[in-house]
Amino acid sequence: MSTSTIDALEITALSKIMDELDYYQLLNIEPSASTSDIRRAFHNSSRTFHPDANLDLTGDLRKQCRQISKRVTEAYCVLRDTRRRLAYDDKRANGTSLRIQIAEARNAHVERRKAERCGATPQGRQFHGKAETDLKAGNLAGAIQNIQMALTFEAGNAGFKAMLEELRERKKAIS
Amino acid sequence: MAEIAVGIDLGTSNTCVSLMRDGKVEVLDNAFAERTSASVVHFHEDGSVEVGNSAKAKVIHSPAETVSSAKRLIGRYYFSEEVKKAQAVYAYEIIEAPNHGVRIEIREEEFSLPEISAMVLREMKQIAEHHVGESVTKAVITVPAYFNDNQRQATKDAGRIAGLEVLRILNEPTAAALAYGFGMGMNQRVAVYDLGGGTFDVSVLEIGKDIFEVLATCGDTFLGGDDFDDRIIDLLADGFVAEHNVNPRNDPYAFERLKLAAETAKNQLSIDEEVHISIADVLTTEDGTVLGIEHTITRAEFAVLVHDLIQRTFKVCDEAMQQSDLTVRDLDGVILVGGPTRLPIIREAVEAYFQQPPRQDVDPDEVVSMGAAIHAASLVGEAKDAMLLDVTPLDLRIGVAGGLTEPVIERNTPVPIEQTRTFTTFQDHQESVQISVYQGDHRMAADNALLGEFEFSGFTKAPRSDVKIDVTFEIDPDGIVNVTATDQTTGAAASTQITLSSRLGETQMDQIIASDLAARVATPSTPDGEQHIQLSPASPCDSIAAAQETNPAEESALFGDGSVDFSEERPDDLEPESSVRATGGTENAEESYDIIMGGGGDEIDLDQIDDEELIQLTEETVDERESGNDGLFDTSGADLAGPEIELVKEAK
Repeated sequence: MSTSTIDALEITALSKIMDELDYYQLLNIEPSASTSDIRRAFHNSSRTFHPDANLDLTGDLRKQCRQISKRVTEAYCVLRDTRRRLAYDDKRANGTSLRIQIAEARNAHVERRKAERCGATPQGRQFHGKAETDLKAGNLAGAIQNIQMALTFEAGNAGFKAMLEELRERKKAIS
Repeated sequence: MAEIAVGIDLGTSNTCVSLMRDGKVEVLDNAFAERTSASVVHFHEDGSVEVGNSAKAKVIHSPAETVSSAKRLIGRYYFSEEVKKAQAVYAYEIIEAPNHGVRIEIREEEFSLPEISAMVLREMKQIAEHHVGESVTKAVITVPAYFNDNQRQATKDAGRIAGLEVLRILNEPTAAALAYGFGMGMNQRVAVYDLGGGTFDVSVLEIGKDIFEVLATCGDTFLGGDDFDDRIIDLLADGFVAEHNVNPRNDPYAFERLKLAAETAKNQLSIDEEVHISIADVLTTEDGTVLGIEHTITRAEFAVLVHDLIQRTFKVCDEAMQQSDLTVRDLDGVILVGGPTRLPIIREAVEAYFQQPPRQDVDPDEVVSMGAAIHAASLVGEAKDAMLLDVTPLDLRIGVAGGLTEPVIERNTPVPIEQTRTFTTFQDHQESVQISVYQGDHRMAADNALLGEFEFSGFTKAPRSDVKIDVTFEIDPDGIVNVTATDQTTGAAASTQITLSSRLGETQMDQIIASDLAARVATPSTPDGEQHIQLSPASPCDSIAAAQETNPAEESALFGDGSVDFSEERPDDLEPESSVRATGGTENAEESYDIIMGGGGDEIDLDQIDDEELIQLTEETVDERESGNDGLFDTSGADLAGPEIELVKEAK
């Protein structure tokens, strides 16, 4: 709880490079870390950087420490939540940003799932819609054709793939 | 020498102060050996102020000059539901102040809610000073976890007015968990079920050796022990109307009698299976007939009356369990907090819900102030190994077009936290950007608590969309929201104006502090050596008994068999003014106050109190804003209720 354990230079250095670290690096964990690893890392960082752990710091050092503490909390907040973590890992893999808006991270994943389910492109959505209509009407063959069409526009769509597989299974079962 | 910092549980009904010394926490009792004091402020004709259990006794005779449950109103706008409800229930005058604020008017004098609460805090400060024999200027003050920013700020202001540097605004359930787990080296998951006089909170925490992490907190600021009383009041009042065709609710004196009877009956039902309520004189009709009430209520009847209220608390518990990703089976303990949790009916329901009996070794009236004291000690370096990692209870939202909001920081996010959003101008050469900030869980702006409207200006003039303003929303460890803005291109801080806020302005605060209003409470020593304050002698646990005992004639009013008799009390029994002063009514009364520092006007260093990072936010009234509006926000045909801003969806 005392600053004796933390070097003033360490605070300054970390606050300088903070923007270049991703959340895993900031918490000093591997990208494969489990939820309990993440929590333990958050506790460790809090012991060092939480404002209450640095009551005797003043001026710039206190400000820097506070900034680090807030960033550590942000990292924890994103990584401990499965949906946010998925959205963040996407973003990190794309190399677009090392941070993510915590409120939007959840939605981002919901949107991605929605896109997976219904299609991310106009054509994908169109053929997926047709497949759904065929399915309701009992036209299994038509549905399979349409979802295959949808997949030509969105080859990577896991939702479409799963649907196609399921429809094929059902067709097999009938015949 | 170690610094002294106390913990204060500023409750809706009762307030309690504790101190940690030499590794031990003690609840500090007042001059009359009471460990909690009623959060009631009574104003005498001579302008002096009385606080505590004796003040509570005054409500029967002069309800309009006695303010109770101020916590229900603190940090609220005048147009809020809670204010309307309070106006119906309390006899004191609740009026509207500029900027939608709330004031209490007593004897033609207006008081803000922070001032009223400051009087209660001042009393606690003096109790502490008596115990330590020196000035006490630092405190941790607790608030319901579900309090929003307005309520937290107002509570902090109350502390300042009372001459206290508020080291931390701490959530009550977190404080309770700290008192429960501090120094125990435990590894437990616990739920804190906190039913206060006016609020309900539940928090789920993980307690480690040195870290107390709040996993989730949920609450209802419109639900408390008072609502249980109200059910009995309604029962009595409806019965009275049916029998006499006169509504006792319309008579403030009669209504106060019913309130006191209901509260006493409720408390008595914790002990007895059945309580008989007997009030000989509820009111006197125009033709001089004295009408009374005789009513017997059993525990079973009471259980039916309050069943839905108890169920409401479990809906909140469901939410907290869900938000913490736990089931009740994962919990190692359940801690009860708040006077109403002494009711057997609540203990039983809690046990059934959590599938385990609540802890018996925690005092629900004192545990919060004890936790606050532990945290206070750790914040002045007195206690170690108790780090609190708390969360924000409510979504922080910004207004967008169409009267809607979108979240910036979601509830149960750990604090301190900061998020930055980028806004851009809507029109060419636009000089300012306005943002409304809300707290609450609703998409519709109107359903959330408005924290304030912020106007940012002073950035470079440029074509629309060229100006990008980074607005940073920070929630600090107090749960208090700070909003700052910078111009992305120049990096210069934009000037910020709060154009609507329920807070007192800095100037107002300065005036209040300068007038040293709080010093009216328990004026330490008048020339003749008399005290303006008296706290009635009573058993620590029974404030009702205390209320009854100020007048010896009233002592018999609370019968040992559980029946309540108010027949001894009449408005004309009003005690002479002199008798409410402590002229050594009990032996330690004189001792207790003569070491309090004179003057009572502690200097407050504003710079020290203000957050160093917080931009000095100036405040102006809505009217001023409107008159100063340059019309830049007028867009043709725009029926946008929200501020005209465009959100740039990019992470900072």
